[in-house]
Amino acid sequence: MIRFGLRLAVAGGREALTRLIIIATSVAVGAGLLLVTLAGLNAVNGQLTRYASLYPSPSAEGIGDPLWWSTREDYFRGEQIVRVDVAASGPGSPTPVGVPTTPGPGEYYVSPALTELLEATPAAELADRYPGRSLGTIGDAALPSPDALVVIVGHTVDDAAALPNVRQLTSVGADTPALPETVVDLIVGVIAGGLLFPVLIFIGTATRLSAARREHRFAAMRLVGATPRQISIIAATEAAVAAVAGTALGFALFYAFRGQLAAIPFTGMRFFPGDMFLRPLDVLVVALGVPTGAALAAWVSLRRVRISPLGVTRRVTPRPPRAYRLIPLVLGVAELAYFIGRRPVTSDGQTAAFLPGLLLIMAGLVLAGPWLTMVGARVLANRARRPAALIAARRLADNPKAGFRAISGIMLALFVTSVSIGVITTIVANRGPAQVGSTDAATLSTGLSDDELSVPDSLLVELRSIPGVRSATAVHRNPDRMADPGVLACTDIPAAYGRCADGATVAAVAHNFIPFRESASATRVWPAAPVPLDDVQRLPVASIVVGTDGSAASLERSRTVLSRAYPDFWSAPSVPGEFESSFADQLRGWQQLANVIIVASLGLAGCSLAVSVVGGLSERRRPFSLLRLSGAPVRVLRRVVALESTVPMLAVAVVAIGMGFVAAQLFLKAQMDYMLTAPGPEFYAIVIVGLAACLGIIASTLPVLERITGPETARSE
Amino acid sequence: MTIAIEARNVVFSFGQTPALRGASIAVDSGEIVAIMGASGSGKSTLLHCLAGILVPDSGEVLFDGARVDSMTEARRSSLRRDRFGFVFQFGQLVPELTTAENVALPLLLNGTRRAEALRKAHGWFERLGLEGLEHRRSGELSGGQAQRVALARGLVTGPEVLFADEPTGALDSLTGEQVMDLLVTAARAQGTTVILVTHEPRVAAYADREVIVRDGRVNAPDRIAS
Ligand SMILES: Nc1ncnc2c1ncn2[C@@H]1O[C@H](COP(=O)(O)OP(=O)(O)O)[C@@H](O)[C@H]1O
Ligand SMILES: [Mg+2]
Repeated sequence: MIRFGLRLAVAGGREALTRLIIIATSVAVGAGLLLVTLAGLNAVNGQLTRYASLYPSPSAEGIGDPLWWSTREDYFRGEQIVRVDVAASGPGSPTPVGVPTTPGPGEYYVSPALTELLEATPAAELADRYPGRSLGTIGDAALPSPDALVVIVGHTVDDAAALPNVRQLTSVGADTPALPETVVDLIVGVIAGGLLFPVLIFIGTATRLSAARREHRFAAMRLVGATPRQISIIAATEAAVAAVAGTALGFALFYAFRGQLAAIPFTGMRFFPGDMFLRPLDVLVVALGVPTGAALAAWVSLRRVRISPLGVTRRVTPRPPRAYRLIPLVLGVAELAYFIGRRPVTSDGQTAAFLPGLLLIMAGLVLAGPWLTMVGARVLANRARRPAALIAARRLADNPKAGFRAISGIMLALFVTSVSIGVITTIVANRGPAQVGSTDAATLSTGLSDDELSVPDSLLVELRSIPGVRSATAVHRNPDRMADPGVLACTDIPAAYGRCADGATVAAVAHNFIPFRESASATRVWPAAPVPLDDVQRLPVASIVVGTDGSAASLERSRTVLSRAYPDFWSAPSVPGEFESSFADQLRGWQQLANVIIVASLGLAGCSLAVSVVGGLSERRRPFSLLRLSGAPVRVLRRVVALESTVPMLAVAVVAIGMGFVAAQLFLKAQMDYMLTAPGPEFYAIVIVGLAACLGIIASTLPVLERITGPETARSE
Repeated sequence: MTIAIEARNVVFSFGQTPALRGASIAVDSGEIVAIMGASGSGKSTLLHCLAGILVPDSGEVLFDGARVDSMTEARRSSLRRDRFGFVFQFGQLVPELTTAENVALPLLLNGTRRAEALRKAHGWFERLGLEGLEHRRSGELSGGQAQRVALARGLVTGPEVLFADEPTGALDSLTGEQVMDLLVTAARAQGTTVILVTHEPRVAAYADREVIVRDGRVNAPDRIAS
């Protein structure tokens, strides 16, 4: 029977061939996207693993010759530089991954991207931060991304041991993957929901249609004695043949475009092409799973359509969905709402709290969809004036499950992406970098360790001599631990950051003149501090604040001077928001990923919709073509098709985005006490582009409508 | 008697296959004509040419003094919608609509208001003995019921000509006769001209006149002339 099915599949004439090609192509797109997702996940994991291995955990101390290691973040023009300081304590010390030898004092290795940056930048802005000589570039094995800015600087053991965050390693490179299980699960869940679901729906719809299109042939076979089981096998074989070809094409497409894909900075940084790889398990799952899934879908769909020797049994109206389908959705929202003000302490606890809520809402949307479709369609059907609206609404109300199936993918994809974009936009808005041109963005400061008793005047003079620098101030430590952390003689406060309270000689100030969660201001009045003026100079120095004109050159030169003067800084001299902004950059990478998911899933959903539109048409080709013969303009039929597919799609888009923002708001409120910041026009633009693509794909089916409702159909077969 | 619709020497081929090789027929207003002939002789093609569904390769089709064959597709569509009615062998009901909505459909397509269209449709349910079936779907009707609903849909706009292509072809003979009874009675009551395609003599017997198509040829001038 399978061989017979194969013969039919390949020798079924032009129409069969066209159908095979269409299904194979669509499966190829689906399989390709699936492969990209899996490879992308591997790539992200690889990137994060190597990123994490720049922050190794210490080995047990006192064995062999350990490698001393300290990792700190430095910045250059808003980009993060990972600075690793190392010292080998003996011949047995392990060598860092990616370099041939451990650099000694005065030697360093730089990543290729940093090498380029060093060559393109005046030494005073960057290269002077690394005195000594470069031994060469760091190999890819140590770098998260081709764009990563990494430097490995050599030291004597004594110097290294004095660095902050230092640890001793007896082995390197054996670090466990960076992504905690729960995070991986979360990402997989999100991507699966957002992307895989539409793919699977699409494959299912396409194969179901291909089986339904051949009902006449199948009925003819039943007439000559084929059993229903044999028919199912034939249909499944045909679907599987197309799916195998499509899957193979999907693999070919994936490998052809792997390099281009790796260059998309999903996580804020490009991937190495080799990072976009597939594990044998991934290959196996796609290569076997997709054709099997397609065959199963055909099998299952044919079990629903009873093919008797006299053709397909009359369509009966399925039982309408009932309101209990709303329960999981309501529960999901309630679950998220419950955690407002009851945030779990551990991050695992948080995942445990929010993930089920999100998944409940996702499942709830899919379950509630048919019911909502039915209610909406009934309302529409009862008020419809135009025949097209009436037909479309009745069809949706009759079989809302079928109507909803093709758009359920859009619903999930838009929900997932609206949640993530809502959360990301809000976090970025609350913790983004200082605004360009503001005093904040022109202020560089560095905190000093407790025992720094004074700052040499020569350093302040050197800083002030940098073009663009307006002030360089040493802020002393406030002995009053309850007040602002710094004290300063009133005459030393630069005008750009405010002035003293009237009558005071010494003021209590923020360590960088910018109070927490506020901005610098020339009109700020700093409160008096009960410290005698003469004592201020004797207090240890808490920080050095450099006010500049905001130019990158002045900021980076100042940063270079400061980091040379205080090489054992805990955190690099920085502009407010710089640390947060590199986090925000990463989030923006995820935002891009979300955008890709939106467009891809809407495109896929468009294909699913198109397929189900054609399916719905061929099911009704006779009444529709007879309507046309009776004088109904094609325009009316076109409108039926458009209404049946686009109205639910748009409605679902609105509901999904709305629910997504609700969930994001609940999450943000509970987790961070932020109010949702509405995403910018870019988000809506992407959604509109995706929806337009979807509509375009649906529109492309309209010529089919005219072809299959031509007068030939009127003949009494 | 005035001639309602007329074909003059109509020729039509499907690609290489000739279907009509010269067909002439004239039908009086209010007349019921049965077009008979063997399967494949060209009956349906002739009906489609008369109704302006197909455009003849040569020859003329006249309705109400106007040349149907030279009209644009849009004009022919509106002619079919507004002045003709159709009953086909089976499957013309839109499955997701109720029977009442199916009957009202031509009125809705004409731009009649929904309430008005449904009211008119309901009138036909009584006349055709379909009371109580208004809210069924086509899948829940017997063959005879479905054809009566189709008939109601064909007549609801009060067409000048009703084209019926094997309207009883899918029914058993008893049910078929019931449908034909209703068709003829309703047409006579409205003064509707009927062009009835059938290959069954028993069905043709309901007509005023029988016209036989043989091999794509027919010559049937109107009743008075013949
Ligand atoms: N769509 C079509 N394409 C090709 N040939 C057709 C088509 N429709 C009808 N024919 C041919 O035209 C001839 C007349 O068909 P038709 O008018 O349907 O016959 P009847 O209704 O008398 O059975 C037949 O030979 C038939 O095979
Ligand atoms: Mg025929």
